Amino acid sequence: MDSFWVLNIWFVAILMFIGIYCLLTMRNLIKLFIGIEVIAKGITLALIATGFAKNNIMIAQSLAITFIVVEVSVVATALAIIINIYRHTGSLDIRKLTKLKG
Amino acid sequence: MHLFLLIGLVAFSILAILLRDLLKAAISLAVASIFLSVIFFRLNAPYAGVFEISVVAGLITVLFVATIALTRSEGDVRESKLPMILFPFFFVAFISIIINILIVRHLIQIPTVSIPPVSGSFGEILWRQRTFDIIGQIGVIFAGVFSVLALFRSRGRNG
Amino acid sequence: MIFLFIAVPFILASIMPLIGKISRRFLPDLLSNLALFFLLIYAMTIARQLVSGGGVVHQLYFFGAPLNIILLLDGFSLFMLFIISLVSFAVTLFSIDYMEHYGAKGIYYALLLLMIGGMNGLVLATDLFSIYLFLEIAAVASYGLVAYGLGHDELEASFKYLMLSAVASGFILISISIIFGIVGSLNLSDVASGLKTLNFKYAVGFCSALFILGFGLKAAIVPFHAWLPDAHPSAPAPISAMLSGLLIKVSGIYAMARVFLNVFGLQPHDYLSTVLMYLGIISMLVGAIIALGQNDIKRMLAYSSISQIGYVLLGIGLGTPLGIMGGLFHLFNHAIFKALLFLNSGSIENSTGTRALDKMGGLAKRMPITAATSAIGSLSIAGIPPLNGFWSKLIIIIALVEAKMFAFAFIAVLASVITLWYYLILQRRAFFGKLNETWKNIKEAPFWMSVSTIILGLLCIIIGIAFPIIIKSWLKPATDVLSAGIIYALNLLGF
Repeated sequence: MDSFWVLNIWFVAILMFIGIYCLLTMRNLIKLFIGIEVIAKGITLALIATGFAKNNIMIAQSLAITFIVVEVSVVATALAIIINIYRHTGSLDIRKLTKLKG
Repeated sequence: MHLFLLIGLVAFSILAILLRDLLKAAISLAVASIFLSVIFFRLNAPYAGVFEISVVAGLITVLFVATIALTRSEGDVRESKLPMILFPFFFVAFISIIINILIVRHLIQIPTVSIPPVSGSFGEILWRQRTFDIIGQIGVIFAGVFSVLALFRSRGRNG
Repeated sequence: MIFLFIAVPFILASIMPLIGKISRRFLPDLLSNLALFFLLIYAMTIARQLVSGGGVVHQLYFFGAPLNIILLLDGFSLFMLFIISLVSFAVTLFSIDYMEHYGAKGIYYALLLLMIGGMNGLVLATDLFSIYLFLEIAAVASYGLVAYGLGHDELEASFKYLMLSAVASGFILISISIIFGIVGSLNLSDVASGLKTLNFKYAVGFCSALFILGFGLKAAIVPFHAWLPDAHPSAPAPISAMLSGLLIKVSGIYAMARVFLNVFGLQPHDYLSTVLMYLGIISMLVGAIIALGQNDIKRMLAYSSISQIGYVLLGIGLGTPLGIMGGLFHLFNHAIFKALLFLNSGSIENSTGTRALDKMGGLAKRMPITAATSAIGSLSIAGIPPLNGFWSKLIIIIALVEAKMFAFAFIAVLASVITLWYYLILQRRAFFGKLNETWKNIKEAPFWMSVSTIILGLLCIIIGIAFPIIIKSWLKPATDVLSAGIIYALNLLGF
């Protein structure tokens, strides 16, 4: 595969690292969700870059658009849960959510 | 030029996770989306670019700002300074690992199956070839809408 | 018309909130149960047609012009459809009475039907990306359902579940895009043929690792199990039964088996098989040992799910036909008796209002039906002959011994003994013994809840006694599909 695709995949890996770092270290619930959004950007970039390298950009666009639709549903559900958590506990700190210990 | 766009995307993503003020973080996430969609336009993917701007930089940012506005409180969560100081070290470590793997793997070419290029306009591909995905999209939109309705229902009887 | 499996739940789900506004109780219950009963009968009658034909059925959906929806119905898919319809029907029967005090039944049934439709679509898909998409439909519906009670515990559990599940879906998609980059198509048969001709070990290994990370988290395999002991107890009881009995199996084990066995080509004793077997053994032991110390009845059942999924993974990871048959049989049995046990815990919670084992005691005197069905479920899952759990565990252990993996077989027997131990603890503390004074006046579970648990309990007994028939008519076609491996996927090129 050509090096252009490898360059893009490298940046996808960096974006995944940034997202997972945010999930591991941040405390605010909304900030945690911004981490997941960064991961989603990485995935969209991976899909389109792969489609471009395979000369098959149309199918890759369909996949990317479908993934963006899924992402919107997940974001809506997660933000609804966050608002409800705020109504219950009055704060957005994940350290307050330790009642259940996996 | 492409490298500049990619670096811009990564830079604004880093800003989005390191900024303490949530509103500024949401705005920088939207700017990162704009960089990403410019990348899509340059890769001959105009539909994906338009969708990315209108949905991710538009709709999702509006949802984030609405949530931030609804959850303002007096004692906001102050993130600790430690992750932000440690971040550059982890980042550089990660990049050096990746560079190592890249140099090693760059010598091994990844073989691929060559396929004939698929032709057809975007509408044709989306509606004819990936029809099953359309049904899936409808399903996931319904799932999201109903989950939000379930979470915000009026708790008349019992909480 | 295999498409009905996806169309009926989706169409009914889209109009369910309106129906819920018109009639609060009667119509949503009736329509959902009728729909699932229809799907169950349909799954059972197609079996006749399929088993006699002995082949796969591809459906190109004609509606004037051919629409490009290709659904794959073979032995394995039909097997999973049957399990999904069976357990979903019992759960909807149970929900008629249980969800009364949660309110908004229309939306509840809508989300439940969407989850069922998503799982059906996942099972029938022929395309890697469609598998991902329908997995996400079921997952988003389950996020809403876990948080349905809107209490503090539910919201916290649902949030953690959502975070981990979203990361797992991310890993699955990265792997799918790498496969797309190498092979150029996402169709299962194209991917199989492409990977076979290329024979590029590193890429297959890297993508397998990402798939194990992604699907393993959905299937709650140790070390990715952290979300399950919080999510399953907090959800309403019928949703716990759906999650533990169906979702972790369909979105985790089915997807893994389909990809690893039919597309990547897992052979016994190769690297991938060894990794899966080790993961299975670790899940089995860790789940069983932690379950011993639990006080909350649903948490104990959740850890037991982790342990039993370890058994299934051990059987399927082994790769020999006998191992696959044992794994699939245990998957079937576990769906039935874990759903039964979770529904019973819902009955207990409905009558007594508590889930703590040390507060219960002697409930058998006031709730005889619940105690009897719970005893049947506990004995089945512990592997007591002649109930169904015994046969499936026996087949897995025989397959391990046949493949000369004696250490694994010994650990499997050990884990079975520990399972028996904690289920006896559960039965003794909850049902037998002296009746706790606080529960003097509780009543038996309401009618529909008892009906659904009695149905599942009877199934445990019937399958245990009549298991050769089950093996011949349901399991053999499924096992043949999986053990044929890549050759099966390559032959799909026919359409």
